[in-house]
Amino acid sequence: MVIKIEERRGRIIIHLLNKSRFEWTIEPRYWRNPLIVVILWILLPLIMAYYVPLGIVGIGSTTLLSSLILANVIALSAIAHSLQTIGTGRVNFGPQFFLVVGGYVAALLNKNYGLGSELTFLASFAITALVGLALSPLTVISRGLYFTLITLVLPLILGELIFWRGDIFGAETGIPGITRLAHTGDPMNDLLICFYLSLAMVLILTVIVDKILRSRWGFMLGVINEDEDVASSFGIDTKKIKVVTFTFTSGIMGLSGWFIAHYYGAFAGTMWLEPWVLIFILLSSVLGGKAAIYGAPLGAYFIVLSRDILRSYIGGGYSLLLLYIVLLIALYLLPEGLWGLYRKTRYREYVPVIRIRRKL
Amino acid sequence: MLHVSDLTKRFGGIIAVNGVSLEIRKGEIVGLIGPNGSGKTTLINLIAGFYKADSGRIIFEGVDITKKTADERVKLGIARTFQIPRVIGNMTAWQNVTYAVIGSRRFKEKKMTLTEASMEALYYLDIVGLLRKRDVLCRDLPIYELRLVELARALALNPKFIMVDEVMAGLNPVEADNVARLVQRLREEFKLTTMWVEHVLRIIMRSVERVVVMNEGKIIADGEPREVAKDVGVIKAYMGEEVVI
Repeated sequence: MVIKIEERRGRIIIHLLNKSRFEWTIEPRYWRNPLIVVILWILLPLIMAYYVPLGIVGIGSTTLLSSLILANVIALSAIAHSLQTIGTGRVNFGPQFFLVVGGYVAALLNKNYGLGSELTFLASFAITALVGLALSPLTVISRGLYFTLITLVLPLILGELIFWRGDIFGAETGIPGITRLAHTGDPMNDLLICFYLSLAMVLILTVIVDKILRSRWGFMLGVINEDEDVASSFGIDTKKIKVVTFTFTSGIMGLSGWFIAHYYGAFAGTMWLEPWVLIFILLSSVLGGKAAIYGAPLGAYFIVLSRDILRSYIGGGYSLLLLYIVLLIALYLLPEGLWGLYRKTRYREYVPVIRIRRKL
Repeated sequence: MLHVSDLTKRFGGIIAVNGVSLEIRKGEIVGLIGPNGSGKTTLINLIAGFYKADSGRIIFEGVDITKKTADERVKLGIARTFQIPRVIGNMTAWQNVTYAVIGSRRFKEKKMTLTEASMEALYYLDIVGLLRKRDVLCRDLPIYELRLVELARALALNPKFIMVDEVMAGLNPVEADNVARLVQRLREEFKLTTMWVEHVLRIIMRSVERVVVMNEGKIIADGEPREVAKDVGVIKAYMGEEVVI
């Protein structure tokens, strides 16, 4: 028989061609939850796109898919931001700066030099990481409020530069005519391709960051996040780790920009330097679960979908007002974030969380 | 082993350590005592690389470490404990010792894996008698056990020279005796050169071979415990009366 299913010792065992077998424990507390979540994450948009044409939340399928894509982009930056916060012990208030740098690298190289999206992907990561490397001494020489203020100013400087050199960056209109990631002729197919590409980026990054946090590097990042002085007193080269973390995570944020440029086919940096991008990324980290990397996508989906559902029901400026009220209430009611609801059942595992220092 | 010469540290107008010169020989156990604010912990912080000295030099095993960072000094074999335990409260006792193993020079030299580092951490927890508490978050441990975690963590760095900063503070007499015995045992088992800062004079005077007394950032006496206990300057500055050993 090709497939044989049997129940043995509280497990369902599926034999395939008498060669390989797949086991699943029946008792729910032993279920492999990450696997279930990933399967749902992959299937849900597909179901929503084709089987629920009007969406279950009052918004159309294309709008819903666009929202999910934006959520993935925000999640990508939020995961990188969470790792950066853990590994440097500092909260960066300018993640959108790196996003915009990555976006412009992709846009300019594609438009001016005809580089394809594969090459601009590498270039966006490399150049944004280099910018991150150049700025990484900030993690060594400043901390607390000073670091926050410096990173808060970075997007403002870039914003001014975009207007000053409008001939290069296109000022508020941006750079149009960038090669799109998907151009099949069917808008729904294009959206699905872009969704799955963005989802793949988020999943791959989650796996990479998960591996990092479970390794010796994760231990060292965690100690730096909790107490940098203790870390250096116990042989951890804090400077090196902070510089490497800041550089790597800056590159990842740049990839968010790369995706935006090739997804929309145009890139206007001024739009992505706006405060809502910063707020969405920070809130995704915190509301997701205080820099828990698995919480960041959860937070991003919650925020972006809440915004679009409220917009479709209420519309206008009131929807944004209500969104921020909803987010404030969620922050108040869930101090450990959305991920914290799940984590409470597994409190023994150590996962570094944001520790914002009040003392300088 | 350790040679400190003319070391000075200022905090604004206050001179916390004022031209201190000190020599510690290999295998020695030296007590560092002095009234509150005399500069003992600042001296430890300077030797550990926690603070940068304004002037003076620190030589460890022939290497000038004055300008080296704290983690570089750890790699050379200098370890310390903190006056107020500074463990990571959100980590278990086991994890707290594990990161110290990861930070030690042995971790790189032996190309250890995280699992091997964890196993080695268990060994140090066992030595200090905390194996049973390995999975308890440090924020849930009492002060006595936090002191033991600190000692295990310092040992995990595989040090040659260890600075123990007021390890008995906040402990009852029985716990203080236990810790004192443990420090002695560790010193013998691991052949550690030890500098021990303490306020509990009766214990330190009988536990160390040499006592250095600091007052107002300067060393005012240096010698065997019996001699120092009778030193008029020391009695006046610190003890108020002669200590019977």
